[in-house]
Amino acid sequence: MTNSTAVSITDLGVSFPTSSGPAHAVAGVSLDLPRGQITGLVGESGSGKSTLALSLLNAVPAPGSVTSGSVEIDGVGDVLTLKGSALRKTRGAKIGYVFQASQNSLNPLKPVGKQLLDLGRSHGVRDRRDLLHRARLLVEEMGLDAERVLASYQHELSGGMRQRVGIVFALVLNAHVLILDEPTTALDMLSQASVLEIVQKVHSERGLTTLIISHDVGVIGDIADRMAVMYAGRIVEEGPTPSVLASPWHPYTRALLTAMPRITGDVSAAKQLPGRPPDLSSIPRAGCVFAPRCALAEDACTETEPENTFLADHRFACFVTARETAKETTA
Amino acid sequence: MIITKLVTGLVMIWVVASATFFLVLAMPGNPAAAKEADLINKGMSPQNAAKAVAAIYGFIPKKPLIDQYGNYVWQLLHFNLGQSIAEQGTPVSSIVASAFPWTVILALSGILISFLIGASVGILAAVKRNTRTGDTLTLGGAFINGIPTFVIAILLFYLFTTIWAIFPQGGNVSIVYTPGWNAGYIGSVISHAVLPVIAYVLAIVGGWVLTAKASVVSVLGDDFILAAELRGLKPTTVLRYITRNAMLPLFTILALALAFLFGGSVFIEDVFNYPGLGQLMINSINTKDYPVLDGAFLLITVAVIVANILADLAYPLIDPRIRR
Amino acid sequence: MTVALAPEQLETGLRRSRQRTARRWVLFVNTPSRAISAFIVVLFGLMAIFGPYLYPANLPINANDIYASPSLAHPLGTDFEGVDTLALIVTGARYVIFSAVIACAITVVLGTVGGLVAGYYPRWAGSAIMRVTDFVLALPGFPVLLVLATVWNFGSLWQMALALGVFGWGGIARAVRSQTLSLRERPFVEAARGLGIPGWRIITTEVMPNVAPFIGMNLLTGITAFIYSEVGLFFLGAVPFTGSNWGVMLNNAVFQANAVTSTRALAYLLSPLICIMLITLALVTLMNAVDEFFNPRLRRIK
Repeated sequence: MTNSTAVSITDLGVSFPTSSGPAHAVAGVSLDLPRGQITGLVGESGSGKSTLALSLLNAVPAPGSVTSGSVEIDGVGDVLTLKGSALRKTRGAKIGYVFQASQNSLNPLKPVGKQLLDLGRSHGVRDRRDLLHRARLLVEEMGLDAERVLASYQHELSGGMRQRVGIVFALVLNAHVLILDEPTTALDMLSQASVLEIVQKVHSERGLTTLIISHDVGVIGDIADRMAVMYAGRIVEEGPTPSVLASPWHPYTRALLTAMPRITGDVSAAKQLPGRPPDLSSIPRAGCVFAPRCALAEDACTETEPENTFLADHRFACFVTARETAKETTA
Repeated sequence: MIITKLVTGLVMIWVVASATFFLVLAMPGNPAAAKEADLINKGMSPQNAAKAVAAIYGFIPKKPLIDQYGNYVWQLLHFNLGQSIAEQGTPVSSIVASAFPWTVILALSGILISFLIGASVGILAAVKRNTRTGDTLTLGGAFINGIPTFVIAILLFYLFTTIWAIFPQGGNVSIVYTPGWNAGYIGSVISHAVLPVIAYVLAIVGGWVLTAKASVVSVLGDDFILAAELRGLKPTTVLRYITRNAMLPLFTILALALAFLFGGSVFIEDVFNYPGLGQLMINSINTKDYPVLDGAFLLITVAVIVANILADLAYPLIDPRIRR
Repeated sequence: MTVALAPEQLETGLRRSRQRTARRWVLFVNTPSRAISAFIVVLFGLMAIFGPYLYPANLPINANDIYASPSLAHPLGTDFEGVDTLALIVTGARYVIFSAVIACAITVVLGTVGGLVAGYYPRWAGSAIMRVTDFVLALPGFPVLLVLATVWNFGSLWQMALALGVFGWGGIARAVRSQTLSLRERPFVEAARGLGIPGWRIITTEVMPNVAPFIGMNLLTGITAFIYSEVGLFFLGAVPFTGSNWGVMLNNAVFQANAVTSTRALAYLLSPLICIMLITLALVTLMNAVDEFFNPRLRRIK
């Protein structure tokens, strides 16, 4: 693992047993999160992005299990080999995770301040007053009244406030890797904007390595330095955000971007992608996972899974496009 | 809020009391009027007969209905429940008052013990669900839950007083001991109470196990538990979070359990010959001592309603989401 | 975002759903305990229906053979009149089971209607109905029946069923109402209302199918609870005997034969007890199966 990469995922596979055979939520995923940068992960529901995020904490829920690969985190090693209290201490202290449903990520029966103290106690923090002090500073940074928030119960906080408190919990132990799973879903537009602003602020202030997961391309396009596109458990395209948005190579990415209506321009220019997201247990056994919905699909696409093609630090996995770009470069 | 609940409770008590009043009137043969006629036949003057019947039932028959009803309610407010027919002249209130504590001892012990055992087993069954231990515990809980109270009472009595004569054969205390805070008396009370309390416990522990398990399973699926684990909280802390949240719904069932126990007291006290309200009800049915029956029924109902109110009032104390 | 399905996709979908339903039925009686439970329920059901036809109307008394132990002639012994216990069990099943089933039917009808109305029209009908059910539910059920028994002798099968049913519909009404209330707020119901579909139509076509699982579950618990109540009533002697049934047998065994203080007439005491336990356990096991059937999440993938 190089010095510029904080998290290195190599050939990760996660599967769940179903009555019709194992469903591969994540298959052969390799992804590097560069230190100090925000990486965005885009995909439809069921694409496996949340499962991928959970595996960074070795927290794939039963009955699912990791079937292959490693997740190397700077300063920790391979998370997937950790167990017991070593794993527990890594969570929260080395890696901060902000929930998809931050609406209910706190114990409804205890005030926020007490739960922060519980967090400190669990991680062997000696100076808990210092912990609370840091927490108060973080809360103020988020634009909230520290005393009031720390004394409140979860139901006394609004959705946006809860999301921000979730971020506080993820960072108060000075983790250097931050994962945010759908941080803006379930929020109104104004709260979305302010949460994203806050994320950017704390990211740059603390020099974090951040992974943001969202189904909303707009959110990723807004603050991510690099972006990866996931489909049916595989990463189909990945690269610097401006590059991916300006010239998407993979047919799925193209379809995704075309399907978004823009504020400027003709609304009817947005085209729907036909078909439905794959049922994980009915993914084609051979060939490219996107083939059934792909307009460019050929025979080769249904036989073998495409390899990654690299163009500078922008990669994608598609036979047809690879052939065309090869033609362009040789032409 | 509190006022509403209190008022609702009082209204319910009033409805039940009125219902028992009308019930007595509806009884075949109108025992009150019959009694009055009987007394007159025996030579009593009509006014004295009327007064005598009024003392027993709480109202004077043959007067206009409103009068009768008013009379009845007036007596009730003075805690006068009439007089027993079987034991001539004894006020119902004293009969009922002496039986009440015995039922309460058993019922409260039963609820407490069954809750502790049932909740712990339920939590264990939930944590170990989908394993053999968890499944066995769940099955066991469902099994016990399905057995009717009187079956439990009969079997317990049979096994532990007849086949293995470990415990005394019924009654609440041995008469050799003088009542009071002395070791002999208390020891005897306890030894006579063991089997009935076990019967109570077995009657509802199954329900606690299943409810506790379901509640814990539901809390285990809650987001904040996963969040706690992903934040690296200690397993004991997470368990505390789970337990406190899961026990909340159980609290609301506490009052319901008490109602069930009072209902079951009829069987258990009958089988074990225990002089509580339940046995009082059965005996008064057999001796057709209606004032006592109504008095006992009223007391049981009031106790249940009061327990409900108390539980409702106490709930906001433990659930901050309900506090205002 | 609606997606048009091609005909082939539709067919595959239908075939898959039929396969799923078939698989679910297999799951229903997949474990030996469930198969046995189903068998027990069927057995007692048959006993209830055909039992009285297998024996003469007045069972033969044999004064020389009181409280006999189990033997070939009398597999479960005899009672205080020398009547064969097995005969008593088989003929007594009808009362116990039929009245419980009928009472259940009454509670289901009353409870469902009450719950649906209370849930769908929460403002006026709802609170009125709920006040009544809350009140009835708050009372300790069994003592109420005892007191009722003093003014109304509901010893016959239909009367017993009626008494139990009228006091027992509160639980179902509550459950149905809360389910209806939550369904009422769902988009598809709102849409139906917006289209002007009359209330009763919405209730029957949209709400009822979603409430059906609850009712199914309550049906099974209801039967066990009612069996318990009526046997209890007879056992305590609160209701006069009309013919023989299991509760009567228990009453005789415990209070006449003193079966609990001596070891004679053991079979007479235990037979109805065991039958009651068997039925309730079988119904509880099946209830779990029904719960799994409607709640796929509870199923485990082996």
